[in-house]
Amino acid sequence: MKSLAGFLLAGLVLSAVAFMLGSYHTDVYRKLLLWITLALGYNFLFGIAGQVAFSHFTFYGIGAYVMVILLFQVGLPLPLAIVAGIVVCVVLALVVAVPATRLEGFYLALATLAFAQLFIVVLNEGGSVTGGPGGLANYRLPDILGVRVTGPWYTVVIVFLLLGTLAVLWRLDRSWFGRACRAVRDDPQAAQAMGINIRTTRIVAYAVTSALAGVAGMVYAFVDNTVNPTIFGLENAFLLLFMVIVGGSGRPAGAIVGAILLYLLPFILSPLIGHHHALVFGVVMVAVVLFQPKGLIGIWDGWLARRRAAS
Amino acid sequence: MSDFVELMVGAMASGCIYALVALSYLLITRPTGVINFAVGEWAMLAAFGGFLALSRFELPYPVGMAIVLVAMAFVGWVTERIAVRPLVEKGAPPLAPILALLGMLVVFREMVSVSMGPDPQPVPPMFGYGRLELGLVAGSYQSFFIIGVTAAVFGAAWYFFERTLAGRSFEAVAIDRRAAALMGINLRRVTALAFAGSASVAALAGLLVSPNVSAHYLMGLPLAIQGFTALVIGGVGRVEGALLGGLILAIAEQVTVRYAPIPPGLAQGVPLVLLIVFLLVRPTGLLRARESRA
Amino acid sequence: MKQTIFAVARSVLAGAVVLAAPVAIAQNTIKIGMITDRVGPAKGFAEPVAAGAVYAVKELNAKGGVLGRQIELLIEDDQGRPDVSATVARKLVDSGVAFILSVSLTPATQQAQSVTLETKTPHMTPSNSGDTLTTQISNPNFWQTGPLGSTQIATLLSYARNKNFKKVALVTDNSDLGQLTNRFFKSALENAKIEIVSEEVVPRGSTTADPQMQKVRAANPDAIFLAGVLTPENALILRSVRQLGLKQPLLGNYNFSIPVYGAVAKGLLDGLAFVDAFDPAKPQTRQFIENYKKDNNGTEPYNLNGYGYDGIIMVVDAIKRAGGTDKEKVREAMQATKGFQGVMGGVGTAYGFADGKRVGFDPNGMVVRVYEGDAQGKVVHIGVK
Repeated sequence: MKSLAGFLLAGLVLSAVAFMLGSYHTDVYRKLLLWITLALGYNFLFGIAGQVAFSHFTFYGIGAYVMVILLFQVGLPLPLAIVAGIVVCVVLALVVAVPATRLEGFYLALATLAFAQLFIVVLNEGGSVTGGPGGLANYRLPDILGVRVTGPWYTVVIVFLLLGTLAVLWRLDRSWFGRACRAVRDDPQAAQAMGINIRTTRIVAYAVTSALAGVAGMVYAFVDNTVNPTIFGLENAFLLLFMVIVGGSGRPAGAIVGAILLYLLPFILSPLIGHHHALVFGVVMVAVVLFQPKGLIGIWDGWLARRRAAS
Repeated sequence: MSDFVELMVGAMASGCIYALVALSYLLITRPTGVINFAVGEWAMLAAFGGFLALSRFELPYPVGMAIVLVAMAFVGWVTERIAVRPLVEKGAPPLAPILALLGMLVVFREMVSVSMGPDPQPVPPMFGYGRLELGLVAGSYQSFFIIGVTAAVFGAAWYFFERTLAGRSFEAVAIDRRAAALMGINLRRVTALAFAGSASVAALAGLLVSPNVSAHYLMGLPLAIQGFTALVIGGVGRVEGALLGGLILAIAEQVTVRYAPIPPGLAQGVPLVLLIVFLLVRPTGLLRARESRA
Repeated sequence: MKQTIFAVARSVLAGAVVLAAPVAIAQNTIKIGMITDRVGPAKGFAEPVAAGAVYAVKELNAKGGVLGRQIELLIEDDQGRPDVSATVARKLVDSGVAFILSVSLTPATQQAQSVTLETKTPHMTPSNSGDTLTTQISNPNFWQTGPLGSTQIATLLSYARNKNFKKVALVTDNSDLGQLTNRFFKSALENAKIEIVSEEVVPRGSTTADPQMQKVRAANPDAIFLAGVLTPENALILRSVRQLGLKQPLLGNYNFSIPVYGAVAKGLLDGLAFVDAFDPAKPQTRQFIENYKKDNNGTEPYNLNGYGYDGIIMVVDAIKRAGGTDKEKVREAMQATKGFQGVMGGVGTAYGFADGKRVGFDPNGMVVRVYEGDAQGKVVHIGVK
C-alpha cells in the first residue's frame, strides 16, 4: 500500500511538472524521462542480471519503428497497434534472448553489438517499409476517442511509462526472481546447485528488459514524430552503459542518477566549454570506475552511512 | 583469375591489419583477462603520430615509424598505470578495468578530435603507392609491405611465446595468475609489458592502414570491432589464432562483396551475420588453446 | 545661470542617451539561431559552414546590422544527433529567434523541422544537399539553398552529354547522405537512358575498396560516378582506381570540391571532374575571399564557408523586406526571394524560390571543375543546358 501511494504521488508530481514547462524544457524533460526508463531496464539487465548486452537501445529502435509501421503502413487502428506492437516486441525479445543467453560475458557483448549494427543495416536497406536512410516522418499520433493527446498530456503518457517500467522492475527485483538473477550473476554454479534454472532465468531477464525497451520505443515514436536510423546508432548503447556505471549499477536509484547526469551534462556544459563535453564524459567514466566503482549512488550511500555512524 | 589473385593479395593485407589488432587484444587478454577495446584508439593515435612524424615533419620512414612505436609503447604503459593497475591492486571485479578502458577510449578519441580537428590527414606509405606484379600475383607495394611486416611480427610473437623464458612467463600468468606469482614471476612487470607491447602492435596496425585510409579521429571503433571479430573467429588461446581469424574475416568479407550476387547494401551485413553465427556455434574460435603440458 | 542649466541639461540628456543606447541595442537585437555539429560525424562539414555564417553576421553588424538593429547569432550544438537537434530547435524558438539555420547532418535538419513546422518558425538549410528535406515533410516554413543531389547529377550529366556515356558505374558509401545522393544520381541516370552496369557501396570503416572497384572494372563501364560523401572512403575509392588501373573518366559529387581532398588524396585526383558551387573567378566570390582573408589572418575561405555566408545574407535580406521579425511576414518575404546573387553559384546564377518551391539553389547554378594535378582547376562547364 505504501508503495502504491508512493507511485501515485510520484506520478502526480512528475505530471504536474510537465504542465509547467515551456516547449523547449518539455522536450528535454520528455527525453530525459525516456532515458531514465531505458536506464532502469538496462540497470536490471546489466547490473542485476549481469548480462553485458549492447542490444538494449536497439530494442528501443525496434519498438519505435514497429509502432510507426503498424500504424501507418499496415494501417491498424491505434488500440490494436499498441497491443500488436507490444506482442511483436516481446516475441522479438524472446527470439533474440534464446540464442543470446547461451553466450557469456564478452561474447554476449560482441554478439549484441553485431545485432545492433545489423539492425541499422536492415533499416537502411528496408526500402519503403523502413523509409531507408531517411526514415519515416510526416505522421502524428492518431486521435484516441476523438481526443488529440499532445503537449503536456503526452508527457503524462511518458510518466506512466516510466513509472510502469519502474514498478515492473521493482517487483521483479524484490521477488525471488531478482534474487535468482543475482545468484546467476555472481555464481552460476552455486545457483544451479540451489535449483535455479540458469537458462530460463537469463532468458526471462533479457526478454523482459528488452520488451520494456521496445515499449519505451513505441512511446518515443511520437515525441519528435520522426524515426530514422541515425537516431538509434551505436553510440547510444555505450551512453546507456556509461549512465548505469556512473550512476551505480544494480541500483534503480543509481540508474536514475546516472541517466539524469549524463543526459543533462552536454546541455549544461556545451555553453561553458563548447565541444569538449565528450572528453569530460570519458574522464568522468574513468574516474568513477577507478575511485567509486559503486557509482555516484555509492557516494550517497557512504555519506548516509557516515551520518548514521556519527549519530 | 588474375582478378581473384589480386583480390586475395588485397584481402590478405586487410586481414593482416585485423590480425595485428587481434594480436593487440590477445597480448593483454592472455595474461590479464582484460579486454581492452581502446586498441582501436591506440591505432588511431599512432596514425596521427605517423602523420605528424612523416607528413608534417617529413622524417625518413624508418625513423618516424620507430619514434611512433616507442611513443605508443609508452602510451600503453601509461594506460595500464592509470586505468588498470589501481583496479587490479584494489581487487576490483574483472569488469572494472574493461569499463575504465572504455572510458579511456572516449578520452583518447576526444583528445585527438579537439587537438587535431575533424579532418582526415594523410600518412605516407613506406614504399610509395606503386604496384608490384610477380607473374599472376599483383598488388600494391603497401599490401606486400603490410603482409611482410605482419608475418615478421607474428613470427616474432610466436618465437617469444614458444621459445623465450619471458614469453613462457606470460603463458604461465595466463594459465594461473596465482601460481605464476608463487613461482616468482613479477605480475606487475608482465602486465606493464603486456600493455606496452599491445600498444606497439596496435600502433603498427594504425601506421600500416592509414596510408590507404588516412588518419581520422573516427577510425578507431571500426578497427576495434573488426579486430575483436577476428580474435573471436581465430580463438583467444593462441597467437596463430589472431592471424588466422584476421585472414578469414577479411577474405570472407571481400570475396562476398566481389562475387556474391547480393545487393551491395546488404553485403555489409555479411561479416555481422558471420560473427553472430560463429559466436553461437563455436565461441572458442577455430584454434583451441594449447593444453597445458603434463 | 540659464546657460549653466542648459549645459547641465544637455550633458544629462547626452549621458542618458549614451547609457540608454547599449541597453536599447541589447534588448533590440534581431536574433537568428543556428544549429551546428561540433562533436559528431558532421563536424568537418558543419563547422566551416558555421564559420561562414559567423563572418557574415560580423560583416553585416559592422555595416549597421539590419533595420537599425544589430544581429545576434545564437549557436547551438546538436552533437550530430537528430533528437538533440529537435530539442535545441525548441530552445532557439523559445529564445525568440526570427529564423533558424540548420547546418548539421541531413537527418538532424529533418528532425528539427518537426519543431519549426509546429511553431511556424522560418527555418532553412544553406548547406544540406539531401533532396528529401523539402519533400518528406510538407513544411511551408522550411527552405533549402544547399546544392541538391538532383542538381548535382543534372549538372554532371549535361557536362557529359557530348561524351555519350552509354553505361556507367555508380559508387557510394553507406552514410545516410551517400545513400540519398546515390538514389538521386541513379534515377537521373536512368531517366537519361544510361545503363548502370555496376552499383557499389563502400561501407564506413573499410580498409580497402578493391573488391568493389574490381567489380566495377569487370563491368567495363564508360564512366564512373561517385556519390559518396565520406572522405576516407572516397580516398580509398580513388586509390583503388589507380591501383586497379581503371582508366574511365571519374565524375564526382560536390563533396569532392572540399579542399581536404588535396591533402588526403594527393596524387589521385588528376582528371577527376566534380560539381561545385564555387567559382573563385566570379566578382562577388572574389570579393568575399579577399574580405574573409583580411578578417581571418590570411586564412582563405572555401566553398563551405560560402554556403554559410550566403545563408545569413539571404535570411537577413528576407527580414529586411519583411520589415521586422513577424514570422508570417518573414515567411512571405523569404518565399518571395528572387534573383538573389550570392557568393555561391556560377556566374550569372541566382537564388530564388520560384513558383512556391522551397529549394532555392539555382538549378543552373552549379559548375563543373576538373582537378589538374592536386589543385582544383577552373570551371569547365556551367549549369544544365
